[in-house]
Amino acid sequence: MTVLTIILLAMVTFLTRYLFIHPKLPLNIGPRLERFLSYSGPTVLTAIWVPIIFVEHGKFNSDWSNPYLIAAIIAIIVAKVTRNVYLTIGLSVSVFVLCKFYLFT
Amino acid sequence: MSSNAKTSVLNQALKKGFWDMLPLNLAVIPWGILCGSLAIQRGFSEFESMLMPALVFAGAVQLVSIELIASNTSIITLLFTAFIISSRHFLYGLALRHKMKQLTTKWRLSLGFLLTDELFALSGHKRSFVGKVRCYYALAAGGSFYVNWLIWNALGVTAGNIFPDLTELGLEFAIAATFIAIVIPAVVNLPTLVSIVVAGVLAVVFELWHWQFGLVAAAVIAMFSGYSCELLLKRMNRGLSE
Repeated sequence: MTVLTIILLAMVTFLTRYLFIHPKLPLNIGPRLERFLSYSGPTVLTAIWVPIIFVEHGKFNSDWSNPYLIAAIIAIIVAKVTRNVYLTIGLSVSVFVLCKFYLFT
Repeated sequence: MSSNAKTSVLNQALKKGFWDMLPLNLAVIPWGILCGSLAIQRGFSEFESMLMPALVFAGAVQLVSIELIASNTSIITLLFTAFIISSRHFLYGLALRHKMKQLTTKWRLSLGFLLTDELFALSGHKRSFVGKVRCYYALAAGGSFYVNWLIWNALGVTAGNIFPDLTELGLEFAIAATFIAIVIPAVVNLPTLVSIVVAGVLAVVFELWHWQFGLVAAAVIAMFSGYSCELLLKRMNRGLSE
């Protein structure tokens, strides 16, 4: 029974991933919709990363002793200045580890 | 191109896909272990516990549905909840449709199956999924994420009880760092800036409301804001030039 439920769940997640890339789906994306959709990347990713920074156990945390906040600011600055993905991740994760496990403990 | 040169280009694409996904792979370790061990704790068999990551392959859907199945929630509620959580993928399919619908059935089905938040994050390039090399890149990135997810789920299933709660370690900061590194350089004009500010603010508000549909709602409203701003700027420019 649980196996069947899991298969149904899998069909739901696959459907949401696959539906709109299926070529036979009668859907033509016009130039306006295409411009609208061009904002999907930055907005979805931002809607995922900003809550990671500010929401902790269901509560808003904008305290300066929040290691996520400090490290995110570093990440934004490094990304803006260098545009280098690896450098941004490397430096900000280092700052995060430093803040979380050494400075604010 | 000689066949040797071709192979080395494809090899490079595979390697780059693997390395680009690595930070995101590390970031989800605690969640993989949590999904596996939670399934066992809630009375799933080992086979069922592994079927979840193998077929459903979605962290948030797995965590929520394990709890719902364990509390004997009706199948309709369960599937509807999974649908809502998973509905953000519709945006990915829509955004990538013009490129991914061109792929052969094999590529489309496999890359479609692998199209997680993480793979979408690495799909922002103009030529993503265009041509064999880019498909190999996506396969390595998405495929390594899949294998990685299976491994940590399996560890949770077999040894979940000996691990402390790793979700407190803050490994998900790596997700934030990666997404910041991808998004910030893409903010090249006012409409994009407006759209990400709206996305960030609304996502936090909706998350505090514990609203399952919040992520999609925040993204769609933000996309509208960005697009409206773009139209407004165009109209103002036209007004000035007339």
